[in-house]
Amino acid sequence: MTDWCMVIDLEKCVACQGCSIACRFENNTPAVSPQESKNGRAIRWNDVFPLPLHIAPDQGEYPNVKTHYITRPCMHCKNAPCVKVCPVQATFTDEEGIVHQNYNRCIGCRFCTVACPYGVRYFNWFEPKWEETLAEYRNPDQLSVNGSLEGPAVRPTGVVEKCTYCVHRLVKAREQAKVEGRDFRPDEYVPACVQTCTGKARFFGDLDDPDSTVSQLSKSLRAIHLLEDSGAHPKTLYLAEG
Amino acid sequence: MAKTLSRRDFLKIGGVAAGSAAALAALKNVMSAKASTEIKTAAEEKIVASTCHLCSAGCGILVRVADGKAVKLEGNPMHPVNQGSLCPKGQAAPELLYNPDRLIGPMKRDRASGQLTQIQWAEAIQQVAEKLNSLRDAGHPEQAVLMHGDTRGQMRSFLARFMEAVGSPNVVSHESLNVAAAKLGTYLTQGIYGLPAYDLENANYVISFGANLLEAGPNPQRTISGYTYLRRGRATRGKVVVIDPRQSITASKADEWIPIKPGTDAALALGMANVIIKSGLVDADFVKNYCFGFDNFTSKGDHKGFRDFVLDNYDPAKVEQITGIPATTIARLAGEFAGNGPAVAMLPGKGGLLNGGFSGVYTAMAVHILNALVGSIESKGGVMTQHYMPCADYPKLPSDSVATAGLKTNRLDGAGTKFPLGRNSYQSIADQILEGASVEALFLYDANPAFETPGGKRFTEAFKKVPFVVSFSSFMDESAELADLILPEPTFLERWGDDHIEGFGYPGISIYQPVIEPLYDTMNTGDFFLKVAESMGGTVAKAFAWKSYEEVLQFRLKDIGADWELLKELGVWFNPGYRFAKRGSQHWIDNIVGSERMNAPRDGYFDLYSRELNCFLGEMKKEELAKLGISQTGDGANMPHYEPTTFMGDKKKYPFMLNVVTLMSLGPRSDAANMPTLQEISGMTVRETWDSWLEMNPQSAAKLGLVENDQVKIESPFGRISTKVKLVAGLHPDVVNLPFNQGHTAVGRFAKGRGVNGLEILNPASEPLTGLASFTNTRVKVSK
Repeated sequence: MTDWCMVIDLEKCVACQGCSIACRFENNTPAVSPQESKNGRAIRWNDVFPLPLHIAPDQGEYPNVKTHYITRPCMHCKNAPCVKVCPVQATFTDEEGIVHQNYNRCIGCRFCTVACPYGVRYFNWFEPKWEETLAEYRNPDQLSVNGSLEGPAVRPTGVVEKCTYCVHRLVKAREQAKVEGRDFRPDEYVPACVQTCTGKARFFGDLDDPDSTVSQLSKSLRAIHLLEDSGAHPKTLYLAEG
Repeated sequence: MAKTLSRRDFLKIGGVAAGSAAALAALKNVMSAKASTEIKTAAEEKIVASTCHLCSAGCGILVRVADGKAVKLEGNPMHPVNQGSLCPKGQAAPELLYNPDRLIGPMKRDRASGQLTQIQWAEAIQQVAEKLNSLRDAGHPEQAVLMHGDTRGQMRSFLARFMEAVGSPNVVSHESLNVAAAKLGTYLTQGIYGLPAYDLENANYVISFGANLLEAGPNPQRTISGYTYLRRGRATRGKVVVIDPRQSITASKADEWIPIKPGTDAALALGMANVIIKSGLVDADFVKNYCFGFDNFTSKGDHKGFRDFVLDNYDPAKVEQITGIPATTIARLAGEFAGNGPAVAMLPGKGGLLNGGFSGVYTAMAVHILNALVGSIESKGGVMTQHYMPCADYPKLPSDSVATAGLKTNRLDGAGTKFPLGRNSYQSIADQILEGASVEALFLYDANPAFETPGGKRFTEAFKKVPFVVSFSSFMDESAELADLILPEPTFLERWGDDHIEGFGYPGISIYQPVIEPLYDTMNTGDFFLKVAESMGGTVAKAFAWKSYEEVLQFRLKDIGADWELLKELGVWFNPGYRFAKRGSQHWIDNIVGSERMNAPRDGYFDLYSRELNCFLGEMKKEELAKLGISQTGDGANMPHYEPTTFMGDKKKYPFMLNVVTLMSLGPRSDAANMPTLQEISGMTVRETWDSWLEMNPQSAAKLGLVENDQVKIESPFGRISTKVKLVAGLHPDVVNLPFNQGHTAVGRFAKGRGVNGLEILNPASEPLTGLASFTNTRVKVSK
């Protein structure tokens, strides 16, 4: 069975934030007002930030310092805590290992945002707003699963949203293959962040296929999971710097 | 075929069997995605290839147009610079196209009341044509001046041709603000006026002197691709060393960050040269047979060569005193550089520390000479020379006595006269106008000098003295606010254009095409000038027989090897594969070394002792040189050497050097500051958003009693601004950084009133020999 997985090489990541913004334009998460942004309510499903967040006193003094940066999509955990706490099954893992978020079912209780060890679930405090003509560039793709909206569809206020590995792109690629009367190949689909990555640091594919790039990279000695001890069995892999 | 159980499967089964109750609970929530998945999308979709215009890299893009709307940009995998990638600026480009603050049609401004009135394009064309004709009738076509920004591809030569046909030599590029220092360094040594291309893919050792490879160089996406390939894309990994007082993202990603006292890069490069020469690690064939001035020589008297000059003056122990870098480190860097080739020393373009006076040009020379010493000029893994697509020559201009006379006048910006070595002095236009130069018509194309130059407010006064100012900006920026005619150009997603592919040495063209119909009543400035030419009549009209700018492009690009339809489909066309010239060959002499020298011999010798510089400085006395800020005399003045930067502001009163840095997110262009997404992510490194900030070393801040986010006053001899302070451990204690492209007073709702513009308090003077802007020689005081 296909097991979609992303691998991010932190050595090649140059913290340009291209992933973050590609995601924004693919998945319809508009910029928020300056004040909301200052309050930390800007929604970018894949954020890029320095690590650690604040200078610790033991981090060394000039010139013996080194800043690290990390980019953080959803980990699409195999034992996802968010899925377990959702009282209404608005978030669920599909057969191919993608953790979905269904906006019609979500009741906005935010259990999942608290349960997620990675902080990648974003609550929609305000209605997504595009000022005047900015609304023109919205991605028109509307994905619905079992009759309710997911993915890039514009969200109502009060639901939780998150990275979906651009699952609508997967659905579109499968449909395209069907239209052309051929089998779908796993390399026909990558999420927007992977496609745009300026450092070619991101890889995407089927972890279940031992020949895929992600499978090969997952065997690297540099391969790590974030918060391995969280018990969530995160799937998105990082290749550590060094 | 029976499938054998792999270790992975076995572990998986084991995992499930031993799974906790929690895991089972999770399994219950598994749903089938295939059950009833439905996707609705636009009725009509297409992908259009074009080129990004949000920085000088010019990446290829594929734009997804859904139901007539440009909804998403992707990198064009065919384009060698970005190879399918796209940075956040490119990704956010729909915010530029659909920006609510765009200008929707041509306007004129009444100077007395400031009142704006919508006009028709015909009226604008007529006004400009009449103005230019009246200047020509008066015999002073040179009083028309065109200032342009990062204008690339054919547009640059098109605008130059228009002004030439009118009769004005005054086409002024903004390069004196950024890349000119590096270009001059290359010119005075290698004899080519241009930015070198670096073969990062094959380099084994890269040392960057303040070049922000990963953020805001002249071609950031190209250097990112090269960098990541060199690090993790090939079997053997190359080493990257960054010399910079600030731990930029580039420096933090590099193998080694060497913080340096600001303005002393030349000393470091020459200290390395000293060790390389002393240890016998020079490429003997190259320096003996293809370089001029390595050994002492005799020509109208005895002259000292580069070897003795460097051995006498730049012992690592002495360089340690100047740069603050330990002598052992200097020796090690030199050994690594010369011993682990192919090695390359990279010059900064934008965002470097070169622009602190003529010392910046000496620095560029010293850095570029490091490449020569180890034979990295025109060799695999070293420096390549940028070649360009052969574009069809414009037809000869019709003979015209008015234009001929106008073209003979001195350039307004003083290039070649007041600034003998300068080619453009963008920021000094304000000084010239304020000092009484007569400018009757000023065109601003892709230019916002009132914001983007040090002390840019001078332009506010200067524009008042010019009776006819025309802006082609798509937004009401600081300079357009002062213009009489505002003739908005469509954004790059709605117009024809092209760009040269640079950074790999080989030639290539990337085109812009309208991915959607222009949204508003805007006009491509190329088309506008064609119409003006037609309206002017006479020789100018004859010089521009094309009907549209698209036709101009078709004409210029007819010989590149791709027909127009193919070019439109692919977006790019290039001749891949760089062929290194053989040392001393005819190709070498014609194109690689020395071929662009204007005074010194074009003999294919790489100058370690700059004969070109000697043509300017050779006759000068000590006092004259001192006036130019050059302390050496005689042979020393012609060779790269360390000149202590003359800082504006006394060190006691103003203890910090102000370094205005360009960010990957906001980039160099004013219109990008009005893209809300870029505002939101601009302060990623310091967790700031929609604002500017001052970066400061924590110990320096502690001495002043400052803590994170304190509002501080930043005062230089030229003014005072105020913003919040952020503590950044990776920063030289004597330097403070301020990000560029905030502090707009115009452009639009998202840009206006956010933070401060550091350029306001920078030294507005131009360097006396080259006319370069001074970006890094201003000291400031920081207080609560």
